[in-house]
Amino acid sequence: MSRVGRLRAEISAGWRSFARRRTAVFFTFLFPALLIVIFGALVRTDPGGGGLFAEPPAYYVPGYLAVVVLFTPLSRLGSEVARHREGNRFEKLATTPLTRGEWLFASTVVNAAIIGLASLLILGLVVALTGAGIAFSPLLVPYVVVGVVCFCGVGAMLGSYTDSRDGAVAASNAIGLPLLFLSETFVTAAQLPGWFEPLMALSPLTYFARGVRAATAPEVAGGGDPTVNLLVLSAFAVAFFALGARSIPRTD
Amino acid sequence: MDAGDAVVVAEDLRKAYGDHLAVDGVSLSIRSGEVFALIGPNGAGKTTLIRALTGTTRPDSGSATILGTGPEAVDRDRIGVLPQSFSPPERLTARELLAYYAGLYDDAREPDTVLREVGLADAGNTRYENLSGGQQRRLCVGTALVNDPDVVIMDEPTTGIDPAGRRTVRGLVDSLAAGGTTVLVSTHDMAEAEGMADRVGLLADGDLVACDPPETLIAEYAGESRLVVETDATLEGVDYPTRTVAGGVVVEGVDPTGIGGVVAALEERGIEYTGIAWSEPDLEDVYMELAGEVEGVRTGRSGEVGFDEADVGPAGAGTGGESAR
Repeated sequence: MSRVGRLRAEISAGWRSFARRRTAVFFTFLFPALLIVIFGALVRTDPGGGGLFAEPPAYYVPGYLAVVVLFTPLSRLGSEVARHREGNRFEKLATTPLTRGEWLFASTVVNAAIIGLASLLILGLVVALTGAGIAFSPLLVPYVVVGVVCFCGVGAMLGSYTDSRDGAVAASNAIGLPLLFLSETFVTAAQLPGWFEPLMALSPLTYFARGVRAATAPEVAGGGDPTVNLLVLSAFAVAFFALGARSIPRTD
Repeated sequence: MDAGDAVVVAEDLRKAYGDHLAVDGVSLSIRSGEVFALIGPNGAGKTTLIRALTGTTRPDSGSATILGTGPEAVDRDRIGVLPQSFSPPERLTARELLAYYAGLYDDAREPDTVLREVGLADAGNTRYENLSGGQQRRLCVGTALVNDPDVVIMDEPTTGIDPAGRRTVRGLVDSLAAGGTTVLVSTHDMAEAEGMADRVGLLADGDLVACDPPETLIAEYAGESRLVVETDATLEGVDYPTRTVAGGVVVEGVDPTGIGGVVAALEERGIEYTGIAWSEPDLEDVYMELAGEVEGVRTGRSGEVGFDEADVGPAGAGTGGESAR
């Protein structure tokens, strides 16, 4: 009961803090919408053609989802941890019953709620603007949740090991951008050199993209079991969540 | 002191950051229900000592215990801590903030009760970011009290608070002590430490150089009451020892009944003066005596008490310049 109470208090404070940052709310939802408008509606895909965006629109759905599943936790958790460090909030929390794992869990729940809403917006926009034919598989829910858990862990580490909020945001961009484009999201494996393939296998986002594609558009996924990919992504999530929680400073 | 009665204990604590020795073998013991004030110059090691006692830094050697156990194992429902430069989530209202921290404990007090205690009953719906600096700090003090702790540890709780707010916090500490709560507080305000603490520990360069009740420290280190005469002349031949400082003369050991004699001597010699102020020794004199040299080395100034440091009243203030409390 006490743990539930602590989590409820932390989640409630975290949600209110987010919801009252109007610019953060606005850009959290605007950024993926802009990407869909630019790439999905303006640039448009050219199935069968050469170069980028040569796959059917449904192929890119995991990429659009990845924009929020990857970037939002990285930048939000990174800057939130840095903000907590700068305000000595972790020093205060270390003297309360709240554990580091509980803090990260509560922050992850808040992010999952935000990203869940953004994902719904993205799916609606993708279908409406690009005409992508996708299946609304129930597996989308665990994929988004597990992806958020995974990248919240990474974001916590970024916030813990960089020396400021600016540093955390810069680090999240430096890590997020390459991951976003080199994890079978917007660029297919066939378009990359052969030697790069093992590196793609190290990215948790690759399993997110493959699994979401297999669940929502099996015809463009080229095989792949969504459950297996979810298991691999879950293993990454457990590891990164544990590392992220451990990285949160309790002492100086 | 009965060792079994001690609820906060440091034994030979030592902590260094690189080459800088922040805390150098500090031992102290704070008994149940005691109000203990830590004073000392910036960088003396107060915050490091408090962090070692609360478990938010690991000492290189020595040990710390709170409520009979190590800080890492202490029942956190029983302690309330206000870290230095603490800044809580700024988008929450005062009431929400207290409710948030209260929600982290199994058993907590009503946020509105704490709001009243810290003098913010009317600001419950105001966001933290919209409170004044003093109100923010008082709310931060409130976050250390929401769980009705047995031990309260606050690092500079009154920094940035106006006099009325300081009085509120001081009253709060008094009522906590009256209720049997043990309080450890660090402060730069000597009058505050002298007024509210049962004992005062003075840290300088990581050493606990003195640790006693304020009145004992004052009797031992603060010297005698003094009269400061603001003049360009020298003053000789009075019944008290004198010393010339920048901008005037300090007449040592003058009690209030002796002021008239000194003034008469000034008149007799035709010495012109623009101000005169009497002060009795206080904790600030103890600080200057024991830590002034350390401060002097850091700032490049002597630890000698001159007009800047002494309690000098306004020019021509007569004998009304008793040290400000």
